[in-house]
Amino acid sequence: MNKLFDLRFVIGSFFLLVGILLLGYSFLSADTVLSMHTINRWCGIFFIVFGIIMIVLSLQKDADDELLEEKK
Amino acid sequence: MNLHLIDYIIIALYFLFVVSIGIVLKRKIKTGNDFLMSNRSIPLWITSLAFISANLGAQEVLGMAASGAKYGMYTTHFYWLGAAFAMVFLGIFMMPFYYGSKARSVPEYLKLRFDEKTRTFNALSFAVMTVFSSGISLYALAMLMQTVLAWNFDVSIWLAAGIVLAYIYLGGLTSAVYNEVLQFFLIVLGIAPLVYIGLQKAGGWQGLVHNVDNAKLHLWKGMGSAATNPMGVDAFSLVFGLGFVLAFGYWCTDFLVVQRAMISKNLNAARRTPIIATVPKIMMPLVVILPGIVLLALQNQFSGFDLPKNMNGDTDYNMTLPLLLQKLYPNGILGVGITALIASFMSGMAGNVTAFNTVWTYDIYQSHIKRSASDKHYLNVGRATTVFGILLSILTAYVARGFNSIMDLLQLVFSFVNAPLFATFFLGMFWKKTTANGAFWGLLSGTTAAAITHGLTTAEGKGGWITNIHTFYSGTSQAFNIAGIAFIVCFIVTALISTMTEKKRENELVGLVYSLTPKQKDSAKVWYKNPLWLGVIMLVVTVILNIIFY
Repeated sequence: MNKLFDLRFVIGSFFLLVGILLLGYSFLSADTVLSMHTINRWCGIFFIVFGIIMIVLSLQKDADDELLEEKK
Repeated sequence: MNLHLIDYIIIALYFLFVVSIGIVLKRKIKTGNDFLMSNRSIPLWITSLAFISANLGAQEVLGMAASGAKYGMYTTHFYWLGAAFAMVFLGIFMMPFYYGSKARSVPEYLKLRFDEKTRTFNALSFAVMTVFSSGISLYALAMLMQTVLAWNFDVSIWLAAGIVLAYIYLGGLTSAVYNEVLQFFLIVLGIAPLVYIGLQKAGGWQGLVHNVDNAKLHLWKGMGSAATNPMGVDAFSLVFGLGFVLAFGYWCTDFLVVQRAMISKNLNAARRTPIIATVPKIMMPLVVILPGIVLLALQNQFSGFDLPKNMNGDTDYNMTLPLLLQKLYPNGILGVGITALIASFMSGMAGNVTAFNTVWTYDIYQSHIKRSASDKHYLNVGRATTVFGILLSILTAYVARGFNSIMDLLQLVFSFVNAPLFATFFLGMFWKKTTANGAFWGLLSGTTAAAITHGLTTAEGKGGWITNIHTFYSGTSQAFNIAGIAFIVCFIVTALISTMTEKKRENELVGLVYSLTPKQKDSAKVWYKNPLWLGVIMLVVTVILNIIFY
């Protein structure tokens, strides 16, 4: 539940989902011109990477918190 | 512009996320302080991005792209001259008084420093202005969706207002702030690819240099006279009117943005909030102004990039960004771009509604209607005010649709009220002899001076309703000069009346006035934790940018 309060997790999840949608769409929409594929594909990949980084950062914080708790 | 299923899915996903943020945060909202002040517990990186994002409304995203197409790089002065210096000043010098005084709002600081009537004047004008701005944002969103996507005007208004209402009602200020950060990333990542694609198509930076009027690719060239630059402004009006009066007036005294710093965890974080926010702020022209300049280059090389005309037959520069989205984005990423536009409107609206909530509940309701009630009561008032504020915004949006000229007039009146505000705060914080009566009459005189100056001058056919004694080269120049005159009049009247009226005792002003407050020692050794070092670095970077793009 705490993870849901971490904004990085929320932002990461959103961009991960949008990135997957764009990447998937770039493969499915075969009737468009090549450059159109490329824009959606590259943006999709970028959003996925950005989303994963944000999620990892939010999980990293949880690990740090646990470490802090143990020390206490 | 034709949206496909993929675009609608992305828009729906965004709506789902913003409402979910409200739902998740609802369980954290237990007191009025949680709802209206986020219990002063928001991390620094979030307050910093929210500080920028609260200002990243429709006027910023659409308006700055439009201004980029109209005035070129001169528009960057709003960032590299206006915002950056004011934000650093706020962080280093003014935040200790706002945060340290424990005031819950900017009007409440005025009460502590001066008296109830100065607070009430500021609170009432601010409350009306925020609701009005929120309604204008809603109206602009619905008009854009109607024009570009052929969406129904009523559906756009009620859908956008309903979503903003849901997430603020549930999660209060924290929900608005969290959504502002999501909106920030969405706006930046949704529009940045457009700039890249547009630049590629235009032939890169060299393509801009060859295809855009050279006068629009500089910041300071031709500023010696208003006649020799596209903005129609001379250097003095620009530096004094925009760089000092308007920018410091907005960034240092407008509760809408200052509130984001006031909910930080501690004073050091509150001070660093506007300074760290300077980093994305000075980068923002790449996303919001460059598209306008790219459009100029594309117009010179390709057909189909001409802007449409508005109802008066003039070029409609506000369509700059929608036109680029239509021409350069395929479906898919187009959905992200449209969502970014919707996010900017909702961000502007939510920022106004949350600031309205706090000021109404603490500075008007608690101060004048029910002074001592339970915290639960103020939480309920805060929630009811959210509903009331949104309904008023919707009403304003419909009034704007039917009576555009009334809206222009109101906007003008509010600009008169805002113009002298920084003089009052500046004297109040840095001159201990400033009195409550001096501040109140100074504010009224400054506002009156702004109105009279507008009545005596004209620009682009506007103003001169008393008589015309001077014609400015542009409306922008007129606005900068009106602000400058309002500031000077407010400053002089406040100082004069203060010397003649009763002062507060010095022990009452500790923590509220610079000379009577123990100085903040920026003792943090790590540079990024030290507000002073951070501020100096930001200013050096800003000056370098001004020199590079001279």
